Amino acid sequence: MEKSVYYISAASTISHQPTFGNAGFSKSICALEADSSLITPDFKAFIDAGLLRRMSKILRMSVACAKDCLAQSHLEQPDAIIVGTGLGCLHDTEKFLNTSLTVEGLLPPTSFIQSTHNTMAGQISLSISNHGYNMTHTQNTLSFEHALLDAMMLLDDGEASILVGAADEYIEILTEIAGELNVRPARQLTSAASFFIVSNAPESDTVACVKDCWPIAFPESKTSAINDFLQRNELNAAEVDYVLFASLLPEQSGELVDLFTSAGMSGERCIDYLAFSGIYPTAAAFGMHYAADLMRTDRSIRNILIVNALRSENLGLTLIQSVEA
Amino acid sequence: MDTLKEDLKKQIIEQLNLEDITPADIADDSLLFNDEGLGLDSIDALELIVLLEKYHGIQVTKPEEGKEAFKSVNTMAEYIRKRKS
Repeated sequence: MEKSVYYISAASTISHQPTFGNAGFSKSICALEADSSLITPDFKAFIDAGLLRRMSKILRMSVACAKDCLAQSHLEQPDAIIVGTGLGCLHDTEKFLNTSLTVEGLLPPTSFIQSTHNTMAGQISLSISNHGYNMTHTQNTLSFEHALLDAMMLLDDGEASILVGAADEYIEILTEIAGELNVRPARQLTSAASFFIVSNAPESDTVACVKDCWPIAFPESKTSAINDFLQRNELNAAEVDYVLFASLLPEQSGELVDLFTSAGMSGERCIDYLAFSGIYPTAAAFGMHYAADLMRTDRSIRNILIVNALRSENLGLTLIQSVEA
Repeated sequence: MDTLKEDLKKQIIEQLNLEDITPADIADDSLLFNDEGLGLDSIDALELIVLLEKYHGIQVTKPEEGKEAFKSVNTMAEYIRKRKS
């Protein structure tokens, strides 16, 4: 089967950065401060008030980003809706579990219904009346890459436009658990959502495409895997313009940066995107939007490699290429 | 002022997370499941069943009773008083 080109026809992110409805945000991006908070749009502009009242943060962000993507690409219905999430709807899960521990008798149904990982994909589908393929991937820190791979295979299979994205939600207990485990994350644990329309044909303003995506569990050597990935895409390290990486281990980050700086890349072009997004399992989706936005603001950029080593046992590699005007 | 009805309005707002709505916005006789009223739906009906048990200790065991009881704040108050008498 011939591989399609996977054009990024629309991208929408809600994060700590001014990403939402703001093409060119990569010019004004800055590292997260300790008291930084999410920059959210007016959700009422995207979601009916009757539905909005039931939705937790992760659902509001997901539906708003999904609808923003559809508006950007002038698409009424995508052929499929695919979502990646590492930890799912934590707020409703916690609410339901707390209620089940403290309340005797009947339990309120809303938090139970909306506690499952596939609620985002389901709510997006309901909000636009979509009856297509609807899938949720949960593979820890590689959830987004698996969702993206699914979308790419559907395009290979003949579908035209896929809504694919990722979302995760922070709740206080994550900080408590990190404390119990003696983990002190260098960046803020947080929430965010990023959605994309990936299509088999470019729009007039499409600037980037997904060339390849490879989620790997337990790679023997990350540098070998990166070299293999570049080789299968007929590239070498010197031909990569930017590396956007996520890693919590300084020695691992150093190894990644060395791999590319030794090939001639400026250290400034090896960017730890967690400094901008904060930490959540599907931050690689932020990385992809960031990459596409960099290409929009600087048309000389050809190749951006996203290296997701947020969890040291996993490696997600995504290659974003510019689309010739 | 009927305290039970005022309490019910506050409980409905909290249980159903009715943002931007105050007790004063809910008329005693407005139809809860009508778009001209609060526009509630089937999930809200389940939440109202939970509300009656949580705040008033009343279990709705017959679905046909709920259908009548949940028409408005008036009918809910009437149902609670009847069950407690």
